[in-house]
Amino acid sequence: MNGKMRQVRCDGASRRDFLRVGTLAPLGLTLGSLKLRGSNQAKPRAKSCILIWLDGGPSHLETFDLKPGVPQDVRGPFQPIHTAVPGMDLCEHLPKTAQGAKRFSLIRSMTSPLGEHGLANHYLLTGYKPSPVLEYPGFGSVLAKVRQEKSDLPANVAIPEWRNIGGAGFLGTEFAPFTTGGDPGKAEFRVRDLDPFPKVTAKRLARRREFLQEFDKVRAGIEKNAPSDPAFEQAYRLVTSPTARRAFDLGEEKDVVRASYGSRLIGQGCLLARRLVERGVPFVTVMNTGWDTHNNLTLQLRDGYAGAKTGVGLIPSLDLAFSSLLEDLHQRGLLEQTLVVVMGEFGRTPKVNIAGGRDHWPRVFSVAMAGGGVRGGQVIGSSDRVGESPQDQPVTPADLAFTIYTLLGVDPRLEMHTADGRPIQVNREGSLIPGLV
Amino acid sequence: MTWAALLLGSLLPLAGEAPHFETEILPLFTRVGCNAGACHGAAAGRGGFHLSLFASDAAADFEAIVWELEGRRVNRARPEQSLLYLKPTGQLKHGGKKVLGEREGETLLAWIAAGVPRGSPRRLTSFRAFATPEIITSASRETRLRALARFDNGPEIDVTTSALFTSPDPSGATVEAGATIRAVIHRRGQHDLTVRFLDRVEPLRVTFPLGDKAVNLASEPLSNLVDAEVIQTLKELRLPVSPQASEAEYLRRLRLDLTGRLPTPEEQKLFQQDTSPEKSKHLVNRLLQDPEFAEYWTLRFSRMLQLRSLPNEKEGVAAYTKWLRVGLEKNMPMNQWGKALLNATGDSHEYGPANFHRMANDPRAEAELVSKIFLGARLQCANCHNHPLDRWTQDDYHGLAAVFARMERGRLVAVGARGAVTNPRTSEQAVERIPGVRNLNGPSGQLGEFSTWAVSSDNPAFPRAMVNRIWQWMFGRGLVEPVDDMRTTNPATHPELLNKLAEDFVRHGYDLRHTVRQIALSRAYGRSAAAVPGNEADNRYYSRFTSRPLEPEVLADAIADVTGVGHRFANLPERTRAITLYDPLTPAPSLDILGRCNRVGACQEPAAAQGLAAKLHLLNGDLLNERLASPASRIAKGIEEGRGDGDLITEVFQRALARKPSLEELQGWVKKSPGEKSPQRKEFFEDFLWALLNSREFNTNH
Repeated sequence: MNGKMRQVRCDGASRRDFLRVGTLAPLGLTLGSLKLRGSNQAKPRAKSCILIWLDGGPSHLETFDLKPGVPQDVRGPFQPIHTAVPGMDLCEHLPKTAQGAKRFSLIRSMTSPLGEHGLANHYLLTGYKPSPVLEYPGFGSVLAKVRQEKSDLPANVAIPEWRNIGGAGFLGTEFAPFTTGGDPGKAEFRVRDLDPFPKVTAKRLARRREFLQEFDKVRAGIEKNAPSDPAFEQAYRLVTSPTARRAFDLGEEKDVVRASYGSRLIGQGCLLARRLVERGVPFVTVMNTGWDTHNNLTLQLRDGYAGAKTGVGLIPSLDLAFSSLLEDLHQRGLLEQTLVVVMGEFGRTPKVNIAGGRDHWPRVFSVAMAGGGVRGGQVIGSSDRVGESPQDQPVTPADLAFTIYTLLGVDPRLEMHTADGRPIQVNREGSLIPGLV
Repeated sequence: MTWAALLLGSLLPLAGEAPHFETEILPLFTRVGCNAGACHGAAAGRGGFHLSLFASDAAADFEAIVWELEGRRVNRARPEQSLLYLKPTGQLKHGGKKVLGEREGETLLAWIAAGVPRGSPRRLTSFRAFATPEIITSASRETRLRALARFDNGPEIDVTTSALFTSPDPSGATVEAGATIRAVIHRRGQHDLTVRFLDRVEPLRVTFPLGDKAVNLASEPLSNLVDAEVIQTLKELRLPVSPQASEAEYLRRLRLDLTGRLPTPEEQKLFQQDTSPEKSKHLVNRLLQDPEFAEYWTLRFSRMLQLRSLPNEKEGVAAYTKWLRVGLEKNMPMNQWGKALLNATGDSHEYGPANFHRMANDPRAEAELVSKIFLGARLQCANCHNHPLDRWTQDDYHGLAAVFARMERGRLVAVGARGAVTNPRTSEQAVERIPGVRNLNGPSGQLGEFSTWAVSSDNPAFPRAMVNRIWQWMFGRGLVEPVDDMRTTNPATHPELLNKLAEDFVRHGYDLRHTVRQIALSRAYGRSAAAVPGNEADNRYYSRFTSRPLEPEVLADAIADVTGVGHRFANLPERTRAITLYDPLTPAPSLDILGRCNRVGACQEPAAAQGLAAKLHLLNGDLLNERLASPASRIAKGIEEGRGDGDLITEVFQRALARKPSLEELQGWVKKSPGEKSPQRKEFFEDFLWALLNSREFNTNH
């Protein structure tokens, strides 16, 4: 919590300020030197990022990297369909996503050595392999730390929960994702504890805060730590702001918009994410669980429940959520400044196991990225014939992190500091994914 | 002399002979990274070429290099045409690019030219690595690293240049090779390097003191075995110590750590009035005998053992919790406790410890749980390949799993007649095995043999793991962190202290209370959390007490105690304490928001009720607000009884902070009060108490 950023803070969300952070980086590596393609692309465009996290490890072979021409035990249950982009065939249960293929790009050559959920979560969500001596912060926490925006809304939100490591790490709970709780897919959804308790008026809240500061001032002098609790201050601003609370109110959306995203948690979560980035929240994670499909791919990925006539499983729900999010962001002119990333911690084994599922497979998997400066309609890298290893252009989670940070205007070589003063770079081992931006 | 010449010259006994496969060629591969997990050392190899991870299996490596692909990798007639040479020297397409230097290439060629001799096996009989100096005070910030080895008990030879020195944290220290191998320190503090040679992995600690001037700690008394090494380390690091905490602070700290409760005003008064020079000792002994100690530490044990109810079965977790609690009440020696756990069979609804086996779904999961508790180690890595940073092999992992292969994990827990685990390395049935020690070849009943070993003096890891956990429960941080990842390459902050505490624990009959008492009565535990100039940033060397947030259950109970309004959980009786909720699935939304451990995975450190969601809950949620507004609250009753402002404020201070307000504080708050006749008085006290219950002095143990 005492980690200090050596950098000049950039308080506004303007592009110029992002560049300043980069230019002043201690190692002298500027964003300009990052050899982005073309002059207009040398400037980061993404103000915000929406991460659709497919928790458990989505099967690349059933979503973004199907292998139709191989034996049944590798191929799996689904067929590919063409998209407007040659070579970018997708799963037949992603038809809406396929229609908008030009809006996003796929990386089919992600590779990592870590095949256990906890370790892989940490690597994918932070860009650092787990270390026994330090827990690294996730993207949203780093962004919150770097931006230091004094907004009434939290800078890093997870819908509805944050289940993984790769939270704030050494940056401390101040920068941890704020979790909404509840299920945005349910009609009665309210963000937990956002509304004041009965009879506790704004005046009383102010008095409580003043009293609290009086207590903490004394303790801070003794233990030599921060005079006020930043998490409390954030909570206070969120509750007392006249507009902040409305950002979480899905009831303000038209029914037709709500319906387009699909009624499941992932869809309504993405809609909520759009409302938040629209209001300047830098990082929103939509946590979609259930992708650890060790058995029955068809039931879990397509159907959702036994005997379903129309599939409401993980893939059709992702299809509605992802395609509508891109369309909606595009129509509102927000796509160019909003980076959207769809990923999980690893892929699944090329061979279907005896339970009709697939097990963990980190050696190759796929990630989808859109908006925020990503050039859409591309396939970066490929996996081999059976989706077992990267065939070309291997991309590590560190490279992915480097790229995400760069697009968001955070110099990957920027140093942050742990509580005991260790300087840690935002990203250490990565480099920019060639051809993506 | 060049660096590679040193490599050759260093193994003098071999000069003139062909390079030795196991002790020269394989270390060379290790040093440049060929057999690392990211390259050919991956479980599935790379580019069709698989080497054992960090040369852990020399025979398999020899096979892969010399015989695989019909021997295409080496060309004895024309050594320089060998794939083994062409690829790593960058002359043929190689995913890892050019990794071998000229001299290294020559070593490799010399070996191939000599006919790829397997060489007689040489057994490494001793290995040590050291830094000169270990404590660096010079401006150069450098220290020289060396490694010495002995083969077949022969003379000790210098193997510095064949050993692989690495720094896990390059921002703190880096290893530089030149005429000598040196560690360059970039940051003050202790740095643990790793040295790898053949199958040995050793830690190597170098220290760059935190201060420029020596600190005088000669007058700092040593209470017991805990303090000696703590002080020694502080001297090395040049960290000044904070004074001892006040009696009131010590009472609050100890009461929270031993019983998960705050001391009552009556208790505070008694302790204050006690004039005995041994009052701390009496206090510790009294609290250790209090049933509240067993009650609270049952929660800690439940987290460690990952107790939780199984679908539609509450009886098991209830019986298990009860067994743990009775064991703690009776102070069951931990070795007997451990053996009882491992051997427990029977009706899990009746016999608590039988549930131990049910907290894991299969033999491998049980092997992982058992290794965490009884070895303090994470065996998971060894599922797919030999552990890269530890001594565990796949045979160890699957061998331990095999011990539990026949376990039937239904309501009736029993060792069945069938069940086996396949070792993926051999594709055969795994042989039951004590990890790192020996195979279990008895006709049957390997579980009994394993459990006897696990809690015997032959397994020093068990007492070390236990005292490390006890230390973490008392200080919020283990001597080794994470507590279930004890290995030579993850050394303790105070290695000798960990050894001594473990020995002391064994010598006192695996007595949990004894070790708790040793820690509680140490000067290190008794130190104030207040910083003195120079130790503000210390959070692991015990120059001051590191304050830490109250864990969710303790915080919720403390809020209930101070406000005087108890909890109502699900359909449990009113005033049930949160720390007694034995099933983590008992609905308690407040606890979940505050970060209750679900016990599915390990929750090493109790989560801190500190994030934005937790703060929002304390601000707007019912946990606090309902209690403050309740007509049954202590405040509401006090007002009704006509008690004065000063009286009420003092009581609240005592209940929440275990101290009286200073005169200044008292006058300040009385002045803020709208007055004893005012209709706003209750609201004022609600807001005052709300602030107090959110203050750092209340919501931390300090």
